[in-house]
Amino acid sequence: MRALRTAASGMAAQQLNVEVISNNIANMNTVGFKRQRAEFQDLLYQNVERMGAQSSAQGTVVPTGIQIGAGVKAGSVYRITDQGSPTQTGGRYDLAIDGRGYFQILLPSGETAFTRAGNFSVNGEGQLVTDDGYAVQPNISIPQDAVDVTISKSGQVQVTTAGETEPSVVGQLELASFFNEAGLEAIGDNLLMETAASGAANVGTPGEVGFGQLLHGYTEASNVDAVSEISALIIAQRAYEMNSKVITTADQMLSVSAQVKS
Amino acid sequence: MENAAYVGLSRQMTLRRELDVVANNIANADTTGFKVEQLLLGAEVGERARNAFVRPGVSFVLDNGVGRDYGQAALEQTNRNLDFAIEGEGAFFKLNDGAGEAYTRDGAFTLDPEGRLMTEGGAAVQGDAGDIILDRSLGEPAVAADGTISQNGEPVGRLSVVRFDVLAALEKGGDGLYHNASNAVAIEANDAQVRQGMLEGSNVNPILEITNLIEIQRAYESVTRMIENANDLSRRSVERLGRVG
Repeated sequence: MRALRTAASGMAAQQLNVEVISNNIANMNTVGFKRQRAEFQDLLYQNVERMGAQSSAQGTVVPTGIQIGAGVKAGSVYRITDQGSPTQTGGRYDLAIDGRGYFQILLPSGETAFTRAGNFSVNGEGQLVTDDGYAVQPNISIPQDAVDVTISKSGQVQVTTAGETEPSVVGQLELASFFNEAGLEAIGDNLLMETAASGAANVGTPGEVGFGQLLHGYTEASNVDAVSEISALIIAQRAYEMNSKVITTADQMLSVSAQVKS
Repeated sequence: MENAAYVGLSRQMTLRRELDVVANNIANADTTGFKVEQLLLGAEVGERARNAFVRPGVSFVLDNGVGRDYGQAALEQTNRNLDFAIEGEGAFFKLNDGAGEAYTRDGAFTLDPEGRLMTEGGAAVQGDAGDIILDRSLGEPAVAADGTISQNGEPVGRLSVVRFDVLAALEKGGDGLYHNASNAVAIEANDAQVRQGMLEGSNVNPILEITNLIEIQRAYESVTRMIENANDLSRRSVERLGRVG
């Protein structure tokens, strides 16, 4: 019976939906996290009776035909990259991007990863790094005798050293943007990798056309909305239950037929 | 004598098919832009197995087609600026899936590395002048209700939204796509409105589908009982008539 497999595909789809929603909820307080959404598409259809087929020698045609669908599949799970609200942290090296763009991070493998999480720190050499100690690109070195660090909206890093009154510029931060942000591949640790689908990174200074501005002393909160995630969870659970109901019905119908005695 | 069994069988076959359709509706209760379907049944007058001159013919059940309800479903806000929903029944986004024109209500689009507007399945979204190419560095695309796309206040293209006079001409192709199965020509849907940052849900009504499910199951059980009874009757008559003395 086709209905059994159709309902099973519905249950599998809702299970995936719950997995995506639970990951969103789990990352509600992750800096720079972008929520994901599972999008579903119908599976192929079997043409039992094709529409437009001749139904008599007089040239009458079947107006609607019979097409029976085989269930549902996950079309894609995509990231929704709308802005998360900036949260004031007062952190000396905390940065939030207001608008489009990603920070570039040099991985130990030599590859460049991209992130929206701007909760940076400095390492033993005074270099600006992520929580995992990966260097932010281009390299920014903060001198040891720095009293105060200011990062402007356009990414200029200024340092006031002891005994100096004028701040000096020690570096310029850059952002990367992509044609298709949804095509970036998440590798965990808040990092994203460039793929063939995302297109090549386009690097520019913050505040330029097509790039966001930097907010110093803020981090970007995740854009997960608790209320909509919980209601999505309820809908997913109910849909799962309904599909299981179809399986029960199909099973009972088969058993009724099986019990016909001869 | 077997007439009752055959009529019952025709109903059982359509009930199973109805269950397949309902199962597909429920499986797609959360599918973007899905349109609910229903099996259309009719009576097929057939010849009796015997006694054709004495009594009128019997009516079998036959499925004539699948009816699709193209009614508007609720719009869900996603806040993603490449998500689009159509407000207006029976209107579709025009696509080019490599094999020709295709149509969809699922407006969860994305950009390929060249900046072309695509569906998640890889079909190019069609505008007034073919493929739509967006340069993200010009600013975020904003789409007006008539489908006009603008970046930084400058119009850069327009989404094609079309409809058919006869919606039955469309054939579902899976992946949320519809194909034109007849010679009908798509016309521009001027009254349909495009909503950016929203997706159209599925117009499946879960309560109705669960009720259908119960109805199908009960009908199947009672038809099965009827076949059993007819069977019983013929067995008993064979027993009685065959008895001697």
